[in-house]
Order: sequence, then structure tokens, then C-alpha cells
Amino acid sequence: MKQLIALNINDNVYEVPVDPRDLLVDVIRKKVGLTGTKKGCGLGDCGACTVLIDGSPVLSCITLAIACQGKKITTIEGLVENSGRLHPVQQSFIDHGAVQCGFCTPGMILTAKALLDRSSRPTLEEIKRGISGNICRCTGYKKIVEAISAAGETISQEGVK
Amino acid sequence: MFLNHFNYFAPQSAAEVLDLLGRLGSRAKMLAGGTDLLVLMKDKVLAPEYLIDIANIAEFKGIAYEPGKGAVIGAATKIAEIEHSAIIREKYFALHQAAGALGSVQIRNMATIGGNSCNASPAAETPTPLVALGAEVVLASLTGERKLPLEQFILDNRKTALAEGEILTKFILPEPAPRSAGRYSYIGLRDAMEIDAVNMAVNLVLEEDDLTLKDLKLVMGSVAPRPLVSVEVPGLLSGREFSDTLVHEASRAASGEATPISDIRASAEYRQEVVAVLARRLLYEAFAAAKEV
Repeated sequence: MKQLIALNINDNVYEVPVDPRDLLVDVIRKKVGLTGTKKGCGLGDCGACTVLIDGSPVLSCITLAIACQGKKITTIEGLVENSGRLHPVQQSFIDHGAVQCGFCTPGMILTAKALLDRSSRPTLEEIKRGISGNICRCTGYKKIVEAISAAGETISQEGVK
Repeated sequence: MFLNHFNYFAPQSAAEVLDLLGRLGSRAKMLAGGTDLLVLMKDKVLAPEYLIDIANIAEFKGIAYEPGKGAVIGAATKIAEIEHSAIIREKYFALHQAAGALGSVQIRNMATIGGNSCNASPAAETPTPLVALGAEVVLASLTGERKLPLEQFILDNRKTALAEGEILTKFILPEPAPRSAGRYSYIGLRDAMEIDAVNMAVNLVLEEDDLTLKDLKLVMGSVAPRPLVSVEVPGLLSGREFSDTLVHEASRAASGEATPISDIRASAEYRQEVVAVLARRLLYEAFAAAKEV
């Protein structure tokens, strides 16, 4: 039976009718219409569906939408500033050519953002370990790691959050 | 890959959870992190009629440490919180290591320590060090609470001692003995998002001479249907001075005790060899660490 729930996504509150079994990724993509979040394996293995809940990266394909009431959800669309300026991690991915097919990119960027929120100057090892739950099928990890490292430097210089 | 239809409850207190569980019994499943449960439901292995979401129950969450007494960890505590806890790192290093080795960043933000034991996968990360550290679990139901050593809680592959209407609420870790140290390690195909081919934890206590082994516990994961507590290794090492020869003997003994199967992740023969390698490594590491305490 469907019930109406309120979801806070990127600081906007959306009222959506959901069935208890509806997964967060499907609600974000199909009911809210934010298609930046990707659905890859659907089993919590690939990281493409990563979103931030209360600032921490989680897998929206194995999260019930109904369990997310009262929480703050951030998707890739929520990283752009109101002025239209991209988040330093997004800009760095463009500058470093860290996007190939692009399917892993939203999840990769959100995981990287949370990593840099914790410490803006991670070592290369820490970056690799940090993104090990996000699989890039194009295997373009080298540029991704470089982009995250460079974004960390921008963030620590500018003090951006 | 749709889930079956179910009714969802999000109780706000432990009492409400027990009440719901008392009424619904085995028709209900606990939803904590969901990283195992929802995948099993997608695979149609499980089709519960009710899900009771315990993620928001404050009484089931958090890490409390009292010097001299030990630590109490709520069953719904996230693996990430355990990984980043300064007190767990200082006092229960083997658990800190296992928490950091579980899944990926995302999985650690979702999964809970209680779920990792209740799921009772033979390859689970945290039960191995928890058993080595002497953890007890607290099981609650409408009729009260009971305590059980974790090694008596996990009974078999996917089987626990949970009775109808019962829920695991917390883990109790004893205060580490003086001159003791625990270490954890594993072998798998890759570091993240893998299922361990073998994992192991060693917790050892030294005598005042910093050389004689007073007591130790070696626990193996993924080589038996449940965490396998070595009987032979403590028998060989307790009361004796630490030496290369003894470590070698002990590692062969552990290997002999393991009863692994061959599956897609590793052959039984390989696992048996890896047990000896990990046992040797961990005995040296834990011995060196215990001398520093």
C-alpha cells in the first residue's frame, strides 16, 4: 500500500507516494526525476548509486526510500552551488579528464567529496582505499585519483565545503 | 530485482521493538543496515512479511567504554563508527582492523556490528575478532534478557541462537588483560567488497617476563561453518616461551584444525595453507604488540 512520505533531497523537500519496498535509487530517479544518480548492479556492489545521507556515502540501491524520512539526502545535482559554480571535485574531474563513459562519475564524485570533507589532504593510498567501493568499468582510476587529489588541494586552499 | 511486498515498521524505542517482535515473531525481520538483508530479499532467499527498522533506536546504538570494566557496543552501531572509534582502536585493535576491512566506505556507513553477527555468514569479518576478544552478546525479548558468549551465539552457516521473539541488542567486551594484544588479518581476492577466503584473529596475553605466553585465543573465519576457535594452539603455546619453533608448530596445528570447503573464492587446500600463513603472521604481530603494552 502506498503512503506519502517527505524526502529532503538537496535541501528541497519532495512529497512522494511510495510503497515500503521502493528503493531510494528508484524514487530519486523515477519519482523525483533526478537522474544524475545511476543504478548499476542493483545489489550494492558497484557504487554507481552512491548518494550522501547526512553527509556519509551510502548505496541507494539497497536503501529503502521509506527509511530515509527525516534525513538529509545529497545527490550529484546538489553539489553545484546556487551560482552555478561546480563543486571543486566536479571541476577537477573535468580538468583532469577523469570522466570516460561517465556512469560511475556521480557516485565517484560524491564518495570523493565525503572523503575530502573528512580530510582535505588525503594520501594517494587513502584516496584509493576511499573509492574502493566505486567501480569504474572503463578502469580510468589513475585520472580519477589525480582529480581527487587536486580537488583536495583546491579545497584546502579555498576552504570550500 | 524487485523486493517482495512487506509491511514496514519504524519503532522509536526498544520497548516498541520488543513488543512488535513478540507479536510478529519469525514473520518479521530486523532491518538494521540492510546490506545483507535487502540483497537476500532481492535474491528471493528471504521474503519476510514485516520489516522492523531498528536503525533509529538510540538504545541500540553507540560505544561506551568504562576503564577496568570494558566496552559495550550497541548492536545497531555502524561499522564505520567502530572503525573510527579512538577507544576501539586503542583497546580492541583487532576489532578496529576487522571493521576497517569490511566491504567499502559505503557498506561500512550502512552495515551494523549486530547485523554482521546475526547474518551468521561463515566469512563475516567482525565475529572472528569479537570471539577472540571474549565478546558476549545480550539477547532481549518481552520476557527479559539473557547473555551468551558470541561463540555460542553463532551456531552454523546462517544459524544463530536467537529464539522466536528475541533480538540481539548489544555486545559486551571485557577489559583487555595487562600485557595483551589482539590482531586481525584476512586473505581475499581483492581488498574491498570481497568475501574473505580466510580471516583470523589472535588475542594473546604475556606473563610479566614479556616472553612466556600466559593465555591466547586464535579464531579462524571462513574455514568452518562458524567462527572456529582453536583448541590446539593454546594447548601448544600456553605457559611456554615464545619461539620461532613454537610459532611454526602452532601454525601447522591451526591449519590441521581448519575444515574449509572449496568454492568459487578458493580451494580447500589453498585455504588450509593460508591458515598457517595467517596464524604465523598474527602470532608474531600480536606478540610484538603485547610487549609494547
